[in-house]
Amino acid sequence: MSASTTLPDEIGLLASESIRDMVSRATDNAPIATYAEGESPLSWQSISDGGWDQIGIIEDGEGASLRDLVEIARAWGESCIPLPLLPTIMAKRHSAAARAVDGPVTIAIPSATRTDGTCFVPYGQLGDIVVATGLDAGTDCVVPVTDGLADDFDILMHGVQAHMRTDMSMSAARELGVVFAAEASGAAKKLLNDGIVFAKEREQFGKPIGSFQAVKHHLANALINAELAETAVIWSSLQEHEVFRGALFAIDRSIAVGELVLQVHGGLGFTWEMGLHFYLRRMLGARELVSGLSSEFGGV
Amino acid sequence: MTSEQLVGELPADVVSGDDDTGDDADEFTRSAEAWLKENVPARYRDHRGALSNEETDEIRRNWDRQLHQGGFAGLGLPREWGGQGLGLREEVAFHVLAGKAKAPDGFGRVAKVLVAPMLITSGTEEQKAKYLPKILSGDEVWCQGFSEPSAGSDLAGVKTRAVKVDGGYLITGRKTWTSFAQHADYCFLLAQTDPAAPRYKNLGMFLVDMKQPGVSISDIKQISGAIHFAEVAFTKVFVSDGDIVGEPGDGWSVAMRILTDERGGTETAARYVEIRSDVDLLLESCGDRPELASELQELDIRTELLRWQLSKVVDLEDDMGDAFQRAVSILKVLWSELWQDVTRVGIKAMVAADREHWRYQYFESRAVSIYSGTNEIQRNIISERVLGLPR
Ligand SMILES: Cc1cc2nc3c(=O)[nH]c(=O)nc-3n(C[C@H](O)[C@H](O)[C@H](O)COP(=O)(O)OP(=O)(O)OC[C@H]3O[C@@H](n4cnc5c(N)ncnc54)[C@H](O)[C@@H]3O)c2cc1C
Repeated sequence: MSASTTLPDEIGLLASESIRDMVSRATDNAPIATYAEGESPLSWQSISDGGWDQIGIIEDGEGASLRDLVEIARAWGESCIPLPLLPTIMAKRHSAAARAVDGPVTIAIPSATRTDGTCFVPYGQLGDIVVATGLDAGTDCVVPVTDGLADDFDILMHGVQAHMRTDMSMSAARELGVVFAAEASGAAKKLLNDGIVFAKEREQFGKPIGSFQAVKHHLANALINAELAETAVIWSSLQEHEVFRGALFAIDRSIAVGELVLQVHGGLGFTWEMGLHFYLRRMLGARELVSGLSSEFGGV
Repeated sequence: MTSEQLVGELPADVVSGDDDTGDDADEFTRSAEAWLKENVPARYRDHRGALSNEETDEIRRNWDRQLHQGGFAGLGLPREWGGQGLGLREEVAFHVLAGKAKAPDGFGRVAKVLVAPMLITSGTEEQKAKYLPKILSGDEVWCQGFSEPSAGSDLAGVKTRAVKVDGGYLITGRKTWTSFAQHADYCFLLAQTDPAAPRYKNLGMFLVDMKQPGVSISDIKQISGAIHFAEVAFTKVFVSDGDIVGEPGDGWSVAMRILTDERGGTETAARYVEIRSDVDLLLESCGDRPELASELQELDIRTELLRWQLSKVVDLEDDMGDAFQRAVSILKVLWSELWQDVTRVGIKAMVAADREHWRYQYFESRAVSIYSGTNEIQRNIISERVLGLPR
């Protein structure tokens, strides 16, 4: 299958722009550390008022393509807002029971670093969330999150490691992998921008550190990686072969961006408050999930 | 391939090479090994992860005293100042052995590796007598007050002021990223003595008592969630004239003398052991995974070659020539980037049992290309000072 264009449709473009606007109004573009450990700056209400949780639903063959969802996930990934928008979009896309729910819905996903039969439930710690049991597969219900251990490695994802599991079709699994990778690539884009701003502002030896060739090259390499990450998620979204490989490649390139940008920040980059690590955590978490999906569904 | 095959009888190899001292070194190795076996706290060796922060701190503080009692403090420092009068060879061998024995890292590292050599080469007799015994005995902890919010890589740009008053100076300014600040009794600190003097001639090196009014320490949390450094504000903190190292305008040259010291060797030895143990963990847990095979082999050989690079440095130490400069100059870049590559593979290998270990190591390893001179600055130094390329 060859795509006629690498660009998203209007629905993807408009939705991603609107989501970006909504987030920047809610956060006032404040740094991530200001909301990482507290209340979400955005309410679930404003997401559902905008109908953004339903943007993935396909009716009569009409709706957002995976390529459109990539654009949306990338926009969402720029802010790591601690709300389950992406799992809800994907649950509602692939489950009638999820569509019948007003509030947020999540998914229990096999993850590569859990061999004890548990799955990772993104945002499973949130009070009012339910889990879809089947995405175009198995029984289609929603159930509450069973007791499990909190896994706060990706702090903004409020995840739970629980003995439950969402059945999913191969294509739902692939879509999920692509969306997580797209989110990570959006985080990479945001970090690259932060790195550029920092390199222009921070001065050492009487000039901006961005004027040193070593720093320039780091950021040029970060751009190369961020572009490749984007290209890889687009590729994964538009064809069906080796989707997980493309998604993992995109995540690895995104992690490389995170590492380079952290290095450019010097000592500040190593601090909790600077907040670069929140994005890196998201990327590393995405890697665990997509690896898990890949080993379950990727055996080509 | 197991790591054992490559590593062999490791400590003896690290110190091999020179026939004259070979026997001494072996004897040293044997006694160090025996002493470590007796003295490394079992709680720390076997249950490190389960200890509270307070317990760990207590063990680390006490370790400096144990080292002293055992005769292993200040191995490379002269005997007349309470050291053991040995060389880099023994320092390196001891660090490797201590790492293998899972010995704690004391709080005395900054003092023994930086302050003691600084005082011995540039300090007054009074300063040596006042500070060296308690550095070696592990009774006093030091921190390094160099970096400031606006002066990191550009260390000569420190803005902290030292204003002359009767009998001494008043220090005012902010230091940041100060490791051990929370535990420190003293700080050795760069401050401007004469803002009008030219760059490199305007700084003094001060020995500051941290337990006095005007010193205020705020924790800084790191990306791993741990708190291992702090911001330290000094407000009119008094330092007597007797506590300047060198002349009031000598701070920069005093600092450079210790920074270009061979501390690279001992630090590398300690790091080598940690890297080796991380690589071994990878080989054990995923050595049989074909998709990782070439990557693991590469990391394994790089780790082994790090040890050989260190052996080369040790063997070249005596002539201190070009070959030594070249060999030693690359150590920091070599081990820091190796460790980062190891932890990246660790976290991507997705071994369930080691998940928390790699998550922690991955974040910790981000620091090593930043501290003690970022790797960009290291490469500037290598290209300009070692290779003589134009600035
Ligand atoms: C874990 C940790 C512990 C530390 N402990 C101590 C301590 O105990 N005491 C202490 O005094 N300091 C300590 N430091 C501080 C450390 O020395 C500084 O972080 C380091 O020197 C970099 O300075 P900076 O953070 O201001 O970064 P900056 O100097 O602002 O650098 C930002 C980026 O610009 C690059 N850059 C800057 N100048 C150049 C140039 N000329 N050419 C090319 N690239 C350049 C850097 O490499 C970096 O990538 C510690 C740091 C860390 C991370």
